[in-house]
Amino acid sequence: MNELQLIPLLPFIILAMASVVTILLIAFRLSHTVIQVTGFLMMCLVVFATWYVRDTLPEEVPPLFIVDGQAALFTGVIIFCVLVIGLFSYIYFEEREENPKEYYILLFLATLGAAILTISQHFISLFIGLELLSVSLYALIAYLRNRNNAVEAGMKYLVLAALSSAFLLFGMALIYMEAGSMKFSGIAEKLPQVSSSPLFLMGLGTIVVAIGFKLALVPFHLWAADVYQGSPTPVTAFIATISKIGTFAVLLRFAQTIHLQQYPLIIAIFSVIAISSMIVGNILALRQQNLKRLLAYSSIAHFGYLLVAFLPGNEAGTEAAAFYLIAYSITLLSAFGVITLLSSREHEAETLDIYTGLIWRRPVVATILAISLFSLAGIPLTAGFLAKFFVLSAGVQQAVWLPLAVLILTSVIGLYYYLRVINTLFGTSGTADVMQKTVHPFFHVSTYITLVVLAGMLFWIGVFPGLVLQGIRLFLLLH
Amino acid sequence: MQQYLYLIPALPLAGFLVLSLAGRYLSRNFIAGIGAGSICISALITILLSARFLQSPPETGAYTQVLWHWFSVEGLVSNISLRVDSLSLVFICIITFIGALIHIYSIAFMREDRDYARFFASMNLFVCAMLMLVMADNLVLLYLGWEGVGLCSYLLIGFWYETPGNYRAANKAFVITRIGDTAMIIGLFLLFKELGTLYIPDVLARATQHFSSGADGVTLIAILLLCGGMGKSAQLPLQTWLPDAMAGPSPVSALIHAATMVTAGVYLIARMHTIFELSPVAMQITAIVGAVTLFVAGCSAMVQTDIKRILAYSTISQIGYMFLALGVGAWSAGIFHFFTHAFFKALLFLAAGAVIETLHHEHNIFKMGGLRKTMPVIFWTFTIGAAALAALPLVTAGFFSKDQILWYAWSAGGGHPVLWALALAGAFITALYSTRLILVVFWGEMKTTPGHLPSRVMTVPLVILAFFSVAAGWIEWPHNILHVDLFSEEVQHVLPATVLKEGLPAEIVFQLIAVVVSLIGIYSGYSLYYGQSPLLQQWKQSPTVMSVRDFFFSGWRFDQLYDALIVRPFLFITRINKSDISDKLYTAIANVSMLLNRQFSVTQNGSLRWYVTGVLIGILFIITLQLLL
Repeated sequence: MNELQLIPLLPFIILAMASVVTILLIAFRLSHTVIQVTGFLMMCLVVFATWYVRDTLPEEVPPLFIVDGQAALFTGVIIFCVLVIGLFSYIYFEEREENPKEYYILLFLATLGAAILTISQHFISLFIGLELLSVSLYALIAYLRNRNNAVEAGMKYLVLAALSSAFLLFGMALIYMEAGSMKFSGIAEKLPQVSSSPLFLMGLGTIVVAIGFKLALVPFHLWAADVYQGSPTPVTAFIATISKIGTFAVLLRFAQTIHLQQYPLIIAIFSVIAISSMIVGNILALRQQNLKRLLAYSSIAHFGYLLVAFLPGNEAGTEAAAFYLIAYSITLLSAFGVITLLSSREHEAETLDIYTGLIWRRPVVATILAISLFSLAGIPLTAGFLAKFFVLSAGVQQAVWLPLAVLILTSVIGLYYYLRVINTLFGTSGTADVMQKTVHPFFHVSTYITLVVLAGMLFWIGVFPGLVLQGIRLFLLLH
Repeated sequence: MQQYLYLIPALPLAGFLVLSLAGRYLSRNFIAGIGAGSICISALITILLSARFLQSPPETGAYTQVLWHWFSVEGLVSNISLRVDSLSLVFICIITFIGALIHIYSIAFMREDRDYARFFASMNLFVCAMLMLVMADNLVLLYLGWEGVGLCSYLLIGFWYETPGNYRAANKAFVITRIGDTAMIIGLFLLFKELGTLYIPDVLARATQHFSSGADGVTLIAILLLCGGMGKSAQLPLQTWLPDAMAGPSPVSALIHAATMVTAGVYLIARMHTIFELSPVAMQITAIVGAVTLFVAGCSAMVQTDIKRILAYSTISQIGYMFLALGVGAWSAGIFHFFTHAFFKALLFLAAGAVIETLHHEHNIFKMGGLRKTMPVIFWTFTIGAAALAALPLVTAGFFSKDQILWYAWSAGGGHPVLWALALAGAFITALYSTRLILVVFWGEMKTTPGHLPSRVMTVPLVILAFFSVAAGWIEWPHNILHVDLFSEEVQHVLPATVLKEGLPAEIVFQLIAVVVSLIGIYSGYSLYYGQSPLLQQWKQSPTVMSVRDFFFSGWRFDQLYDALIVRPFLFITRINKSDISDKLYTAIANVSMLLNRQFSVTQNGSLRWYVTGVLIGILFIITLQLLL
């Protein structure tokens, strides 16, 4: 390894430095605002660094990492998400009793974990990334430690994540035993000898457990609703977007390297998981009265949809999945942004009662929420529609009919609860909400503007997807 | 000049946007200025454009302008693009010029109305849609205009929506024209399937190569397009909506239900003339539909008592003449009749509107009378219009156009003596009811005292229209009298010339017969309705005559027929199927989902032990699957 190989890792090094810088700032007792702004600038620096190293891509940093277009693409989406979540965090924590400063250390560490997942090509880096992500998340989820919900959610996540990590390690061990390599490409080389070995397949199967847990796929989904509800809203947004993007990215790379989709067994497992996720997620959400839980169930279903694009294992599927993740992240960020904005110190804005008649009181916020729900439901002119469309077309190319049929049917069922929330927004007799203006207006206004921009992006991508698609193709070509 | 083409439809559209978005904040004068002004400027541009067009015709025979790319799917390229050839030009001139006059008239006519802005907004939108219809260079855009005018017609018939009958009339118009529209869109689909394009010049060019004459495919397409035309132009058997459409304000009746929209069918057939020429059967059907319609509607017009319904039936009848002309292959004669008819029918409706306003919304002609002295301007202009309708020889525009059609009904390639006889009978009836209208409304004793008389803003458009009701005919004389054929010469750049049969008597014989029949019609009307006619009294006693009269009065009982044949069976089926069978499937899905929801919710019990069990069940499932496969 020489210093030239370090250059493509520059964005990730800066990302790691962000946590260190934050620690130093805390040591010098600087204010929340300073930390927030510095964090923001550091993230911008990461984006800039990614731009700076673009010409060196794709570059392998053996044996652990490979920085290629796909990694850059997913890292880009992750950094975009953390920029937005950071902004939400400010107004959220400024209003609460907990000292918010350490929060940013954890946030950046978790982001680093997710980013490492996108460039992993080795079980070791995969595990380190995943654990970095998980361990930071335990603390992040339980960050508001005086609230029972938060602590409970943190505990549940801790126990279950540890369990799934155990399975992950076990699976890795089995595969290593059979293939004699922990590097994805090394495993791929040994495939002809080992692919029929039951232990190898069992190893793959147990890895699925860990992936399924992180992506909250049925039957590993049970934690999702409790954790989504208990976490501080920005952390929920983090779990829903960044954590899942990172995990999906590493799954995608692993599948591409060892051609996972060639095993009918694995296809069968993923099909069953996808189908049951779509059905269970959508059905659980039907009568849910808590918006955060509802979004949790909805995200279970959405990752079921995403798996339909994963099943074919071809170019179109990867493209569709990338587009889906982008559209989905923007949508969820705007939805959780609205929840953050409406939450007060005492109450998370999570029960649907709070949203009754919101459109008459706060038309802009309610419209943004409605747009993001439309996008989740996949209504045309929003990004969610096109995302679903690309997934469908990728599935149709490979004729995976059963999951496709379930996708269509459950989308219809899903429409019910999204529209139910929108219906609530237009209802009459709402409680007048008391807005505390404790936060600096600059952050309030910028959060507002960010939300409007996000909603605008949903429309823009939904109507003119060309630019985004072109970008995705360009990135995916670099491998 | 060509680059300003887009302004002609764009100005009314802009007017519509301003009025519909900001109408409620504007003063009445401002609304009138925008509503009428936009159309007037369009009309001015059209006049300049036509002058340029006639002076130096474009080499391709048409002005074209591509505004933007609308969509392109699998070979179906649709642009928002305009194309004006001499056929479109005739329509554009009529739409903008008469439209402008009617808008000016409306300024005063609608003055007291609560929804002044809504009225002008809808009228402007109508003009825009109608212009798109005739200026479109592809059938998709034409269809957009076609549906647009249908929408505006619906909005304007139901303009006074608080009266229950009015919105019913609007619904009726919408539903019945929809039957035609559906046929038409199927025709367009077939056309695209066969020819692979909907760009009008290409369609016409490819049709001759693709279809042999009289092929089944082209006949089907032509008949479907004809059905579309029948719906919009209120031809048999889809004519029942037009008399009821008179529920709208009089300017609406004048513009939409007399001068322009109802002739969209005529435009469509003329535009697609190649398709129709390839199918002699469709041409024959067109001619027969026209001939039967003109006779049936004429009979109904004869016995109506509502002044606007008389004019409505007369409109159906006159469009029947146009269809007849198109059907026998006398293309330019059909379009020429459209041209003259637009002037005198708009005039009649506007004058009738003025009469109705002055007499406090009285529609019944037998409660009018004696208005000759009190409303001289209205009287004279109305008389000129009625004379044109009755085709009073040599002095009115109606004579020049109708005479041609009567002659071609026999002599043209698709002509037939029976068609001619029906057309002649129609001419007699038309003359009769025109005379009746004048005599009953303006002569005799005054039965309703007039309110305040129409202002100058209303009478000036009438005078202009009256002038054109006379003068519009002079640009096209019968060949054997005077060699002036400006109109047909121009139109025949687009439409084929009329082919004549051999071995018929001289044209002058037919003309004399037509003249005599019109005069007899006028005389019969005079003898029946001037003063107290003993014959009329005698008829009123006779039950046979009265039952025939009632039959005609109800529009040949078409409404009852459709009610019995279609409406009632349909309502019967809906009553049986009240709890829709196909709904069962959806309620079943909903119920199953809710049931599952309750089951699954149990799994979300918050207990960590249970969650761990979930994960273990998952891994057990995966391992089992591995062992099984």
